[in-house]
Amino acid sequence: MPLMELRALSKNFGGLKAVHMLSLTLETGEILGMIGPNGAGKTTVFNLISGLMPPSEGSIRFKGEEIIHLQPNQICKRGLVRTFQITKPFGNITTHRNVMIGAFNRTKRVSEARDIADRMLETTLLSGKRNVLGRNLSVPERKRLELARALATGPELLLLDEPMAGLIPKEIDELLEILLSIWKGGMGILIIEHVLQAVMNLSHRIVVLDYGEKIAEGKPAEIARNPKVIEAYLGEEYVLAKS
Amino acid sequence: MNRLNLPWNTIYFILAVLVIALVPLVVKSEYFLTVLINVMFGIYLCVCWNLVFGYAGLFSIGHQAFLGIGAYTSTILYLNFQISPWIGMFAGAILSTILAVFITFICYRYRIRGFFFAIVTLAFGMLMQNLFMSWDYVHAAVGIWLVLRNAPWDFYFMDRTPYYWIMLTLVVLSLAVSYFIERSRTGSYLIAIREDEDAAEAVGVPSSRYKVIVMAVSAFMISLAGTFYAQFYLYIQPDNVFSIHSAITMQVGTMMGGAGTLFGPVIGWTFFALFDEMLRWLPIGSLSMAAITRITYGVMLMLIIVFFPTGLIGLGEKFRMGRVVVLGSSPKTPP
Repeated sequence: MPLMELRALSKNFGGLKAVHMLSLTLETGEILGMIGPNGAGKTTVFNLISGLMPPSEGSIRFKGEEIIHLQPNQICKRGLVRTFQITKPFGNITTHRNVMIGAFNRTKRVSEARDIADRMLETTLLSGKRNVLGRNLSVPERKRLELARALATGPELLLLDEPMAGLIPKEIDELLEILLSIWKGGMGILIIEHVLQAVMNLSHRIVVLDYGEKIAEGKPAEIARNPKVIEAYLGEEYVLAKS
Repeated sequence: MNRLNLPWNTIYFILAVLVIALVPLVVKSEYFLTVLINVMFGIYLCVCWNLVFGYAGLFSIGHQAFLGIGAYTSTILYLNFQISPWIGMFAGAILSTILAVFITFICYRYRIRGFFFAIVTLAFGMLMQNLFMSWDYVHAAVGIWLVLRNAPWDFYFMDRTPYYWIMLTLVVLSLAVSYFIERSRTGSYLIAIREDEDAAEAVGVPSSRYKVIVMAVSAFMISLAGTFYAQFYLYIQPDNVFSIHSAITMQVGTMMGGAGTLFGPVIGWTFFALFDEMLRWLPIGSLSMAAITRITYGVMLMLIIVFFPTGLIGLGEKFRMGRVVVLGSSPKTPP
């Protein structure tokens, strides 16, 4: 049984088909990349999976259970958590307490949540910012806080919405290292990313969306050669640069 | 820490409460005790409202409805059914809780948040006031007089002192509730909801459930104060117990002191009460007096929101530490 399975998932906003008949599967411990031009419906897919908005049609199964009627917090309880592209730190509380709120997803006890939060801050290289208010963090720190808070919930599947957008190469490398260390813990990752070099290296498989439809799916190397993908998203330059 | 293994803050708090509790034994002035009871009454309202606004970020302008329901329920039960207000107090509180759950659930069901939540609660408060205003069974706009007599088992006392102690107990209880909420997972969840509801949901916070819980707790506690009002002032009427003025009391006191902090509402309302008393000594007529008080409230509220969104507590911390960090949770400006 796959960890997550989308079947014929669609979302219409009025006449606009933001996502159209999308089907894909994600196995346990797999890193699946999702790429596509702006407006292709990638973030909408995340919003549908995480329960932020209901799909117009189709089904989402997580560990064999239908989750389309669940609220976001119930989906998180089952082990599926997402981060936001536009980071949403809890601005007026410390970084540590931000992460504790995620940790409360697995424990009721304050002391335990505190310990989990400390470990997650260490994993995401934020220990030094433990007592800083959320709103005072820099962009790369906010990105890592999103990640730490999501990890603290104890997920089996992690949905990352452009975790590298706005970062400089050195910070991207740092984040890649963090992601790999998390993945070694055995969780599945679905990642939306425009930093192609990174996503190509990280992912086991890649799905390409365009106008809400899946136009290609496969290993990173196959995707880079796929003429449909080149036309819709990568462009000639990327292929030339690779060869 | 010390031999009792209690933090010093707790010891100071207990000592302060003891000293305040002893005041009526020393001071025999009815006037002075009444002033103190009034102040504690305001503090209590602020502390209860702070749970909803300060922690969960729900800007309710309808909390006066729970005060009124508390006052009317116990009074009607007593006058028409001879049920002691001590019991009626909790009947009213349960009724308020049910209404609070209903209102919050409706807002959740129709995805009413932020500013619109404030409007819905405001409408609810006004609706309740108008309902009681035109309801003959509860003597409509005439109001209900209670007769002063000595009947402790029916919540009547000839002396101010018992009222004083009851009000002090309520304040201490409300602070204890705030304290335990702040320290628990519930408190963290409420703050998460205040800061960003979508992000909170995404990391597993059942936001609708916790909003309902905090509104229910707050409404229950406010309602108890309603019964106290009836038994202490002995006259209830839709224009006083359902007055939006008590909602303003809650907002002014809480924001002045620092929303989302344990002692903010206490400090804030005490400050205002002192200010109010001082204004009384100004050589002006009593009518323009009321106007001046209202105007000053308004101006001060605006000044706080603009210049000190973290209130007096935030300001104090700023001076002390050179920056603003309040109990790991500095407050939010109103929507």
